[in-house]
Amino acid sequence: MTALNTSGVPRKRRPRGVRTSAIAWIFLAPFAIVFLTYTAIPALAAIGFSLTDLQGRDLRNPFNVDFVAIDNYVRLFADARFIRDIGNTLLFVVVGVPLTMALGFALAVSLNSGIRRLRGVFRTIFFAPVVTNIVAIALIWQYAFNSDGTVNNVLANFGFAGPNWLDDTNTAMPVVILLGIWRNFGTAMLLFLAGLQAVPEDVQEAASLDGAGWWSRMWHITLPLLLPTILLISVLLTVFYLQVFDEPYLLTDGGPLGSTESIALYTYNQFGFGNYGISSAASVVTLVLVAVVSVVQFRLLRPRT
Amino acid sequence: MPPLTHSRPVRLTAGLAMVASAALVLSGCGRVDNAGTSASTAVDDKPATGTVSLWAPDGDANALDDTMATFKEENPDLDLEVTLIPESEYNTKLQAAIASGTGPDIAQTYTEAQAGFIKGEAFAAVPDRLVDEDSFFPGSWAAGEVDGVAYTVPWYAYTYTLVYRKDLADAAGLTAPATWEDAIPFFEGLQSAGAVKGFGASIGWDSYTGQDLAQLVWQAGGELISDDESEWTLDTPEMIEAINYSASYFTSGAADTSSPGFLDTQPYFVSGKSVSMITGPWVIGQFDAVAEEDGWTAENVGSTLVPAGSAGSVGAIAGGSLGVLADSDNQDAAWKVVRFLSESDTQIAQYESYGSLPAVQAAWDDPAIADQPLLDAFFEQLQSTRSYPQRTTWLQIATQMGTEMESVAKGQETAEEAAANLQAFADGVGTGE
Repeated sequence: MTALNTSGVPRKRRPRGVRTSAIAWIFLAPFAIVFLTYTAIPALAAIGFSLTDLQGRDLRNPFNVDFVAIDNYVRLFADARFIRDIGNTLLFVVVGVPLTMALGFALAVSLNSGIRRLRGVFRTIFFAPVVTNIVAIALIWQYAFNSDGTVNNVLANFGFAGPNWLDDTNTAMPVVILLGIWRNFGTAMLLFLAGLQAVPEDVQEAASLDGAGWWSRMWHITLPLLLPTILLISVLLTVFYLQVFDEPYLLTDGGPLGSTESIALYTYNQFGFGNYGISSAASVVTLVLVAVVSVVQFRLLRPRT
Repeated sequence: MPPLTHSRPVRLTAGLAMVASAALVLSGCGRVDNAGTSASTAVDDKPATGTVSLWAPDGDANALDDTMATFKEENPDLDLEVTLIPESEYNTKLQAAIASGTGPDIAQTYTEAQAGFIKGEAFAAVPDRLVDEDSFFPGSWAAGEVDGVAYTVPWYAYTYTLVYRKDLADAAGLTAPATWEDAIPFFEGLQSAGAVKGFGASIGWDSYTGQDLAQLVWQAGGELISDDESEWTLDTPEMIEAINYSASYFTSGAADTSSPGFLDTQPYFVSGKSVSMITGPWVIGQFDAVAEEDGWTAENVGSTLVPAGSAGSVGAIAGGSLGVLADSDNQDAAWKVVRFLSESDTQIAQYESYGSLPAVQAAWDDPAIADQPLLDAFFEQLQSTRSYPQRTTWLQIATQMGTEMESVAKGQETAEEAAANLQAFADGVGTGE
C-alpha cells in the first residue's frame, strides 16, 4: 500500500537518470570490487613498491623499507639481461601477433564459407588448444622437439637431421612463438568468425551482382567492416604477447642463453629471488608498454568515420 | 557521460598523488635492522591440539600421511593440514604467502634456499631442547642457523655422488674414478663399452647447475665468499679452474649440451644413452621401475664419491628442513609435529615410505638403509660436505653461475670472462643479509 502524501507539496520524483545510474552501479559493484581488489590496488601497490628497495628480508615487515626513487628503474635499464628480454618480448609481439591473426583469419574465412556443415566440429577442434591445460601441452611439445623427439623423427624419415630445437638459440624462439600461436589462433578464429558473420550478406550479394570478385569484396567490404574486430583481436593478442610467460617458462625456462626469456619471466625470476622492488619496477614497465602499444593501436586502427 | 579525455588529467593527478603518498609513507618508515630472535621456551610433552597447516614441495611430503599415522593416533585432537605445492613454484609461493601473512604454521625449506626465509624473519627460533642438534649431520643443522640460533630442524638430508653403469665399467675393465683427472678417461671408457655418452651432465643452466659448479670450486680449494661473508669471491683461479673443468665434460665429448632434461635422466641411463651422473640418492630407487626389472639396479649400478679435485672430494649438503613460522598462532602444536618428524624412527619410516634419507645420523644404522650398498657412498660423502653460502642472494648468484657455465660450455665466452662476469654480477647484487 502506498503511503498518502499529506504535506500538500507534490512529491519530488527522482530523475530517471539517477535511478538508472544507481541500478547500473549495483550491477557493476561485484566487478568493481574484484577489479579494485585484484587489479587496481595491486597495480598501485606495484608502482609504490617499485620506488622502494623492498626485498625478501622484508618478508614480515613489508613497510619497513627505504624509498629509493627511480633507482630500480635505473638498475633495470642498466641490466643487459632486461634489455635483451624487452627485445625478446617485442619479438613475440612482432612475429606472434600477425601470424596468429593471419592463421585465425584464414581459418575463420574457411569456416564461414566453404565448410559450413562441419563448422561446429572444426570450430571445436581449432579451439581445443585454447582450453587445453598449457602445462600438459608444453610437456608434449618438449618431448616433440627433443633432439630425438617426434619432430626430428619425422624429419629423419625425409632425410633431414633436425636440431635440438629447444637447446639451440636459433630455433628455440621460433618453437616458443609457435606454441603461442598454436595456443591463441583459436581465439582469433572465433572472434573473426563472429565478425564475419556480422557482415551483411545483402551487401556482399549486391557487390557480387555488380561484378566484384572475391578479393575485391574482401578488400573493399569485408575487411573495412571487420576493422573493429581486427582492432580488438590485435590489442588482445598484443597484450597477451607483451605479458607472455607460460610458453617460455614451461618450454625453455628462458633458455638457451636467455634467448627466450620474456619480461614477464624476468619479473617472475626477480620475485623468486626476493627482489620485490626490481620485480615491481619490471611489472610497471610492462604496464607502460601495454598501455603505450594499446593506445597506438587504437589510434592507428580505429575505424574512421 | 563526460568525455574521458576531459577527466584524464584529474585522474592521473589523483593516481600519482596516491602513489606518491604511498611512497612517502614507505620512505618515512625507513629500514630498521632485523632484531635477533632468541630461542623460545621449551615445548612440553602434552598432546598437540588445534589445527596445524604444513606446506611442502610436492615430493618427499607425499608420504606424510603414512609417516604421521602414529602421531595422529597419539594426538587425536590435532588437525594436521598438509598442502603440497609444485616444487618449481614452491619458494615463490611460500614467499608470497609469508609476505601477505597467509603462510602456514610449518613450512619445509630446501637447504640451499632457507637463508632467504630465515633472514627475512619468517621463522621462529627452534625452542630450547626441542631436539638434539648433535644427532643430525652437522651440515644439515648448520644450514638452519644464523648467529648461533637455529631456525629450522633438518628433516631429510642428501648429498651428491657419482652414480654410474657398473656393468659397462666392468665390461671395459674400468675402475670408478677417484679424481678429476680420472673422471673424463672413465667416461670415455664407458663410451668405448657401448654408451652413447659417458656422462650425463646437468644442463639446466640454472641454480642447480650453478650449485654443481660450487662443488667443483670447493674441490679445487676455492671459496665462494669471504670468511666474514662480506663479499663474493668468484673471480678466482679456483673458479676459473672449476669452470674450465666443467666445460671439459662437453669439449672432451664425454657429455653434450643436449643431454637429457630432468625427466629423461633415468631412461637415458638405463638405455645406455648417458650412463653416469652426479646425482642424489633418489635415483637409486627409480632405476628398477624404469628398467621394468626387479634387481636391475643392484646388478648394473655403482656409486662412488664425487671425483676429488686438489682439495679433495667435497660435496654439498642438501635436503629439506622444517621451520615454524613466526606468525603461526599454534606454535606449540607445530613444534610438536616438527619434533616428531625429526625423530630417528620417524625418519626411517619416511625413508621406507618415500626414500627420503634421514638427516639423523643414527637412522642410517637401520638395516633398511645400512643393508643397501649403493647408499654407502652417499653416507660417506655426507661426512665430507659443505653448505652453500647462507646469504639471501645466494640463489641469484647460483643462477647466474649456471648462466655463465652455459656460455662457456657452448663456446660463447672463456672461463676467465665468465668468472669476471660472475664477480661483477655478484658485486652488483651484493651478499644480502
